[in-house]
Amino acid sequence: MPNEVLLSLSDISKTYTMGEVKVEALKSTSLEIYRGELLVILGPSGSGKSTLLNLIGGIDTPSSGQMLFGQQLLSNGREKALTRYRRQEVGFVFQFYNLIADLTAAENVALAAELVAEPLAVDDVLRDVNLWERQDHFPSQLSGGEQQRVAIARAMVKSPPLLLCDEPTGALDYETGKMVLRLLRDIQKNHASTVIIVTHNTAIADMADRVLRMRSGLVAEIVINENPLPPERIEW
Amino acid sequence: MTILTRRLFRTIQAGRGQFLALVLIVTLGVIIYIGMSSSYNNLSRSQQQFYQDYAFADYTFQVVKAPESIVARVEALPGVLNASGRIQKDVPIIKEGQERITGRLTGYSLPMENELNRLHLLSGRQLEPTASGKVAVLLDPQYARANLLAPGQDMEIIADGKKVSLAVIGTATSPEFIYPMKDAGSLFPEPERFGILMLSQLQAQQILGLPGQINQLLVDLAPGVDEEKIKEQVEKILAPYGNITSYPRKDQSSHLVLQAELDGIKLFALTLPFIFFLVAAGIQFIILTRLIRSQRLPIGVMKALGFDNCRIMWHYTSYGLAVGLVAAILGTGLGIALTAVLNNLYAQFFNLPNMTNEINFRVVLYSFLITSLVGIASGFFASRSVIRINPAEAMRTQPPSSGRRTPLESWYWFWQQLSSSWKMSLRSIFRNRGRFAVSVLGIISSVVLLVFSCFSLDATDYLMNQNFEQINRYDYMIRFTEPVKYSEILDWTRWNEVQRMEPMMEVPVKLHAGGESKDEVLLGMTPSNRLKRVYDKLGQERQIPEEGILLGKRVADKLGLQVGDEVVVETTLGIGPSRSSRLTIMGINEPMTGSGSYVSLATANSLLEEQELASAVLLKLDAARMPSVENRLQEMSRVASVSSPARERETFEQLMGTTTTSIAIMILFAGLLGLAIIYNSSVMTFNERQRELASLRVLGYSRGEVSGLLRKETWMQALLGIALGLPAGKAAGAAYIASASTELYSFPVIIYPRTYFIVAGLALFFVWIGQQLAIRKVERLDMVEALKNQD
Ligand SMILES: Nc1ncnc2c1ncn2[C@@H]1O[C@H](COP(=O)(O)OP(=O)(O)O)[C@@H](O)[C@H]1O
Ligand SMILES: [Mg+2]
Repeated sequence: MPNEVLLSLSDISKTYTMGEVKVEALKSTSLEIYRGELLVILGPSGSGKSTLLNLIGGIDTPSSGQMLFGQQLLSNGREKALTRYRRQEVGFVFQFYNLIADLTAAENVALAAELVAEPLAVDDVLRDVNLWERQDHFPSQLSGGEQQRVAIARAMVKSPPLLLCDEPTGALDYETGKMVLRLLRDIQKNHASTVIIVTHNTAIADMADRVLRMRSGLVAEIVINENPLPPERIEW
Repeated sequence: MTILTRRLFRTIQAGRGQFLALVLIVTLGVIIYIGMSSSYNNLSRSQQQFYQDYAFADYTFQVVKAPESIVARVEALPGVLNASGRIQKDVPIIKEGQERITGRLTGYSLPMENELNRLHLLSGRQLEPTASGKVAVLLDPQYARANLLAPGQDMEIIADGKKVSLAVIGTATSPEFIYPMKDAGSLFPEPERFGILMLSQLQAQQILGLPGQINQLLVDLAPGVDEEKIKEQVEKILAPYGNITSYPRKDQSSHLVLQAELDGIKLFALTLPFIFFLVAAGIQFIILTRLIRSQRLPIGVMKALGFDNCRIMWHYTSYGLAVGLVAAILGTGLGIALTAVLNNLYAQFFNLPNMTNEINFRVVLYSFLITSLVGIASGFFASRSVIRINPAEAMRTQPPSSGRRTPLESWYWFWQQLSSSWKMSLRSIFRNRGRFAVSVLGIISSVVLLVFSCFSLDATDYLMNQNFEQINRYDYMIRFTEPVKYSEILDWTRWNEVQRMEPMMEVPVKLHAGGESKDEVLLGMTPSNRLKRVYDKLGQERQIPEEGILLGKRVADKLGLQVGDEVVVETTLGIGPSRSSRLTIMGINEPMTGSGSYVSLATANSLLEEQELASAVLLKLDAARMPSVENRLQEMSRVASVSSPARERETFEQLMGTTTTSIAIMILFAGLLGLAIIYNSSVMTFNERQRELASLRVLGYSRGEVSGLLRKETWMQALLGIALGLPAGKAAGAAYIASASTELYSFPVIIYPRTYFIVAGLALFFVWIGQQLAIRKVERLDMVEALKNQD
């Protein structure tokens, strides 16, 4: 069990204001994320999982609280620091893939590769996700599973210490979903990355090193899983 | 090439129609900018160079006659660098068939090195300083061309009452003959009827019977001296010799025309292109704003990946830069072509040797800078909205397209009357007010340009009509070599062909008032005259007073005179000593052309202490017998020239041919501007409402009905733009007239009602083409694709 702290959140909260209504999507939360772990965030829809992941990924800013990446403070609202953090440290995989429609598979990956000084080779990454043959296809010409693998390739190519996945299997069928989970597990193992998977599918928790359960904007419990199962053996 | 650059090209490719429409607008601006600026530079540089190399005089003094020795006295004045004395006199030229026209005989001291207003030989051979043998003459090129005269041919003139034969040896020009016009009152050059005859001073003096005499003094002043003071000193020296008139270079007729042309090009070069640039910037801003709004998701993704705001903004801004650069490249090529066309045109009008036809690289560089700046600025302002896009939010939701009520809907009754397609179109307009406003402003610009182009045609047409149909109603004007007693020619009225004859007396004078003075030519006519009438620029007929003077407005303003004041009139006619009298100002007249000062024939005679003198007569004939009269008149010895408005009108209409070319170009440019604007706005509406239009198709609407929805929106832009553009065009015309009125012309702001209809028709035509091009997209609208793709 690795225990070097990669990112620490203390008393982080997030409130959305929509006109008169205030939604406390995330109530005061403290959390440490370790280098190289596979963390699964579990909870029903609307419980604040995505809100938490977006804060971790630096694509949203907390309403209060402190977030430290190593020595660096990320919660002071400085756009420059956040952008650099996203660029250097984070890879993001979304539920609906969010590939850029007018770029091919390879170009979607290369777009991310251009952002860092020493990216992985685009070809290698595409081969890893088993899409090398389809690299010149546009997203509209790919199936959901294929698009999700391109999205994973796009996140990996920067070789980030932190890989964040929001419902990565949510839009996929069972077999394809399992393949994607296997891929994420391999990345965690082979690249020593921290992988965080947000899901409402409790079965997926079995492959985690740690499981974080959320309920109505609060962290209900954090469970350490001594014997994570390989994705092949998970059933749902 | 980075992935984002590749994506930029793909975006351009996907919306290439819009991109090309934008490029078209900017290109038109660049063409005008480069064409006009280069022409200005070429023309202006050639002018400066020619003036300098051929020593164009700063001041010209006209005397009755003076000994050549006077030149040295003037030259000795401090502040005078150089002075030349010469003979210049208008003489009748006898053409084949005995027609008489005017030649301006000008003598040149040879060798010419230190003289002012030197000659530049264009063809043939140079004048030689011999006094013996046949008199050799150089002609201005327009006259030579119009009268088919080549070196080796002879021509006849009347000088000092005798026929003299001249040998044509070539053509030449000089800074004062760049645009040869008989006088400042002429509306346009008439090379068939007026020519410059250049010969050696000795021979000129000999044939005019003025040995050792001059009648003109050219003066070159030291820079920075007080012109007025020197003028007075020179006039004092010249006073005993009958100083008729004196004028500075800026009032010289050729210079006046060339300078007015230069000022005009400069004004256009500095205004017109920017209309195009501004319209393009507005449209580009709208296109990019819309593009960015539709790309919230990819922008959010890019931000999540770690792209910073600058890089993403640059991605969209570079679209604008691409428009600018492509347009600058195309515009430079076409602008160079336009420069060549304009240069050719000017070469026909102006006798400027070594007219440079250079591409000014600074102008090209400026084009690139300006278009890039326009592209970057509009791109930058449009893409600032990128900053506000929050990646988490962009990926979570689409902003609901605001289906708000329009203010029109509060007029409940009105709203109820509308068909649902009108309701949809009106809602779409209110939803996209910015775009609607930009399109309307663009159409206004296009209509203003159209009105402006047509306006010059109307104004000249009006001017010509007034000139040929209202003012000059005679068939012939016969000018005499010297004023004659009217009674001596009264027998002409008994000729069968003559219906009516009226006398006229032109009196060159100096008007003095309040310590100021101004040269003017008074036209004396019988107040009951019918063949030549006086109209002011608003088309009101003016009565010639029996006593006193109807004074031209320009002189009146210069001398600070008003109706009821008295003015001192000093005659400067070359006959007899000068005399002064006082005249009461009975009225002020502002004509379209010329100076506009009139007295009665009796007053004109009394100014000269003469009676019954006439310098010209006007004839009205039975149209059928005109050639016979003309031949008879041409043979009379005292007749200096016979001019006919009908012939002038022909000449003028030929001259207008070239102007129509440039007007046609302007109309085309203005029309293309309107077309591009409407095309763009239609495509934007189409893109935005694609799903809605597809749903309507699914419901069973026909293509025509769906296209109709798009057309409604653009027709409203077009009609509003035209309605506002027509008066704005008139205002622009008025502003231009106010800034460009010269000593020569003062046009009224005349736009014929039919012109408004023509302009509106042209605008609607171009709008319709723009629509047609965009509407093709409806034909190709794939219902399944459109409904599937959420952008
Ligand atoms: N941008 C937002 N504006 C307003 N409310 C939001 C926004 N994002 C999330 N919420 C609300 O916050 C709560 C948590 O949302 P989310 O984190 O997306 O839940 P989950 O991912 O667990 O389904 C929900 O009630 C949701 O409606
Ligand atoms: Mg979620």
